[in-house]
Amino acid sequence: MRPGSLRFEGREIPIQDGDTVASAMFRAGVRTFSRSLKSRRRRGLYCGTGECPNCMVTVDGVPGVRSCVTDAAAGMRVERGRGWPSAEHDLLHVTDLMHPLMPVGFYMKTFVRPRFAWPLAERVIRRATGSGRLPEGRDPSRFTARHVHVDAAVVGAGGAGLAAALEAARAGDRVLLCDAFPIGSRMPPGPALDGIRALEAEVQAERAIEIVDRHAALGVYDGPTLALASDDELVQVHAGRVVLATGATETHEAFPGNDLPGVWLGRAASQMAGLHGVHPGRRVVVVASTEEGLDHLRTLVGAGVDVVAAVVPSAFLDDVPPTAEAIADGELISASGGGRGRVRSVTLRERGEQRRIPCDALVLSTGLAPRDELARMASPDEPVELVGDAALGDGVAPGVSGGYVCLCEDVSAHDLEQAWSEGFRSAEILKRYTTATMGPCRGAMCGRALAAFAARRSEGRDRAAAPRTAARPPVRPVALEALAASVHEVIEKRTSLHDTHLAAGARLGWSSGWKRPFAYGDWREEYAAVRERAGLMDVGTLGKILIAGRDAATLVDRVFPGRVADLAPGRSRYVLALYEAGYVADDGILGALGDGTFFLTSTSGGAERMDARLREWTFRLGLHVHLLDRTSELGAIVVAGPDARDLLGSLSDDAIDAAALPHGGLREITVAGVPCTALRTGFVGELAFELHHPRSGGPRLWAELIRAGERVDARPFGMDALELLRLEKGHPYIGQDTLPDDTPAKLGLDRAVDMGKSWFVGRAALERLARGPVGRRLVGLSFEGGPADAAELRGMPVGAGGEIVGRVTSAGRSPALVRSIGLAWVRTRDGELPAALTAGDATASVVPTPFYDPEGARLRG
Amino acid sequence: MTLRIPCPNCGERPHTEFAFGGEARLHEAPDDEADFARVFLPDNDPGSARERWFHALGCRTWFELTRDATTNRIG
Amino acid sequence: MAELSTSAPTVTAVLASPDACERVSALPGACPISPGEVTIVGDASITALRQAVQRIDPDAVVRDVSDGWAMHTISGERARDAFARLSELELPASGSVQGAVARIGVRVLVEGDRVDLLVPSMLAAHLRERIQDECRELLS
Repeated sequence: MRPGSLRFEGREIPIQDGDTVASAMFRAGVRTFSRSLKSRRRRGLYCGTGECPNCMVTVDGVPGVRSCVTDAAAGMRVERGRGWPSAEHDLLHVTDLMHPLMPVGFYMKTFVRPRFAWPLAERVIRRATGSGRLPEGRDPSRFTARHVHVDAAVVGAGGAGLAAALEAARAGDRVLLCDAFPIGSRMPPGPALDGIRALEAEVQAERAIEIVDRHAALGVYDGPTLALASDDELVQVHAGRVVLATGATETHEAFPGNDLPGVWLGRAASQMAGLHGVHPGRRVVVVASTEEGLDHLRTLVGAGVDVVAAVVPSAFLDDVPPTAEAIADGELISASGGGRGRVRSVTLRERGEQRRIPCDALVLSTGLAPRDELARMASPDEPVELVGDAALGDGVAPGVSGGYVCLCEDVSAHDLEQAWSEGFRSAEILKRYTTATMGPCRGAMCGRALAAFAARRSEGRDRAAAPRTAARPPVRPVALEALAASVHEVIEKRTSLHDTHLAAGARLGWSSGWKRPFAYGDWREEYAAVRERAGLMDVGTLGKILIAGRDAATLVDRVFPGRVADLAPGRSRYVLALYEAGYVADDGILGALGDGTFFLTSTSGGAERMDARLREWTFRLGLHVHLLDRTSELGAIVVAGPDARDLLGSLSDDAIDAAALPHGGLREITVAGVPCTALRTGFVGELAFELHHPRSGGPRLWAELIRAGERVDARPFGMDALELLRLEKGHPYIGQDTLPDDTPAKLGLDRAVDMGKSWFVGRAALERLARGPVGRRLVGLSFEGGPADAAELRGMPVGAGGEIVGRVTSAGRSPALVRSIGLAWVRTRDGELPAALTAGDATASVVPTPFYDPEGARLRG
Repeated sequence: MTLRIPCPNCGERPHTEFAFGGEARLHEAPDDEADFARVFLPDNDPGSARERWFHALGCRTWFELTRDATTNRIG
Repeated sequence: MAELSTSAPTVTAVLASPDACERVSALPGACPISPGEVTIVGDASITALRQAVQRIDPDAVVRDVSDGWAMHTISGERARDAFARLSELELPASGSVQGAVARIGVRVLVEGDRVDLLVPSMLAAHLRERIQDECRELLS
């Protein structure tokens, strides 16, 4: 027993065992379940399978819930959607009367001017047409996602699906069987349900079958992969083959009055009577052209429903229970409504005569429409097959003689006629113009009716207008939360000093996919330490690649534009990486180790790209090269400043004087017991040693350097100080100071190119470009006036003579030079830079870089 | 989810494990104009083309395959 | 349920000719990556290995790269279920496979109900967090 009640719009509605929200509401007398989108017509229960939009209500704050397939639970709060002030009494129903003023597609021709009125109009329209408010305070992370691998995925656990799953399992397949609902849950008691239960027992006994119920199939993708969603999980099923036992809906016919409350499809009516014990009406007319329809008729009569007339094909006459008047081969013309918009009578044509039958419910089972969307969206050569009712094929096309074709989007047959007359003459184009099939049912109800309409209109003319619109996922509405399940875009890399920086109180931030310290305190003090004494920086984020193998020298010679073949062991050189178009992709430092191998460092964000590029050219040029990405394996710490050598010397017995380790050199040394490859680099413009060491030795090395550095008041420094230190040397950051089509010439980096080499990646492009003037240059600027914090100038357009000629890419106030400096790209005319530049309020003059220590005296030695 | 690439080392994988290297083209051309066309004007015909792919999240090797860009059929 | 633990295994990289790599692939703990690369997890007597490999391919690179990797191990009866939350890869009963796990390139070694994820050390902390997040109620 499931006692209790639900709260429906301020009243309590009792729940009986097995009730859906819809059956509880219906039993309590609710007949209008929703209002249609545009015309605000009353809509009642119709399909009973959770496919049409009519029964959608808001349950516990969640809108768009199909009440006909949602189990009722005690304490649920249920409200209907559209309707002002309520769905029951909707004043906006007048829009139905204004139908002539709102022809199909009218909103594409109105609400355009005056433009200022649009925000107000949009708010009003949104309130009027919305299906409900999104719930607040829901936790989006409750969805999980998982992958499953099987030989056969079976969609639909009805008779055909259960049988298909058993057959596959007995043939040795691993099987996943899914259904949007619990097995047999929507069937009234009877022999059909008994048969399902028997099959279900056999399926449960098969260990090779995983049953996944309450999961709706969203789509079939290449693989084939089947996507399923429940209310807390997204499942991707990677299958050897997919079997679609999705069954068929009952045909949705469009005739005058077809959307009135009281018009039911057979399944919905027989569920209401046979499963929930509520009569769909007091005087019911049944139109049954299928075997299933006859079953529904029997169920209704067996439940005590007063079926006043049963319209059947003459072949079925004997199957009509005696209590109903059997009408052979009658043709349904229309249904008409009365008070509260409910069905009041049905008009038929019988033996050529029109006949009106008073009734309050019309039950239709005129055909079957296979649910074949999933099959239609799969590629033709994918192993996807339809079985059971889903494989029946199209059958008789539904009639479109009036009424509403698309219930979700409120598109009537008249709307389609009008669109056709305006020149929209195929199902696909009618869909886009009228929005038919674009609602929550995704064409499940109306797709065939739309196609039938187009086919009949184009009869004899353009047969291509006939087919149904393309099937695309999702086949059922799916919450964005489900699709977002387990999607985690941000991938964070860390050096081995991460916790050390945190413990030192550093402010960490994002830089090229890494979490890095930006400052440990006042970054200006850290900058000063580097210029005056010594600073330490964690540069473990640098890309590091070992290049070995007998063609290693050949590879570096061909991939980098500069002279590197003559790089002596123990020497390094700044290198650029170019695209075949001649554009700068990356930069780095290439060092030659003693044994014929090379050690390449690259920018922190570019390591994987550099590795991929080296592999690509190894492949394309057919070279014998071994590449080992050592980015994770090695940490790196920079010790920079006038006191850097002293500091290092106190921790190392190895020779690190200018002769043993000159600027541009590299050497294996041991510092504080940690083996390091030391490179003399010049990025910050002071004497500096870049110590590459095993990652596990990082914390020890850093701690020792900090301790030894106390003697000279050395400071750790981060990205903030680095930004200014390197700016004072005029070093561009690839990606920040460069544009995607920057060449070495535009960046003033011709020193990294040796056109004397017969071939390197991008050489032909550079030669071609060299025949014309350089169209743009990255230059150093000195600013006068402007903001006190020159960093604000970053991003500012550069002007000359009233025109924009460039953009400031980096800027800052230089304490060393006591002026504001920056880097900017500036367009040239005939190869010449314009005079009299401005950036914001400041005037800018082009000055040579480096700004600080142009001779590099502080670097060398 | 929708395009699966057969890596010669690792087998068929979703395209999200790969980086696309574009149409497979020679690394040099006989003259300026041919080189410009080689770099900037790929044939881009609808239908099958020879392409380079890189298994970035797997074996990190480059390989070539033929793919029909209109049907996504490979081979 | 399943358990998550992290360790720092010995890892050796072998970059060599296909011939040499094929021989190396037969060793215990060997994960073949491509015809020219094998990763060996566990002790590998590196000096002896290097000599043996360079006898076949003098050009080969054989190096201890342990610092470059961390290992997250998920073990227990729900270990494979946990993995299925993180990756589309299909796991064999035992063996190794490399591919995307939580969108990171990972070398996976699997044996029965034990799944070892060999991840570049710079991404180890991130992957651990992803595992704990995605597999929350499966991990004890």
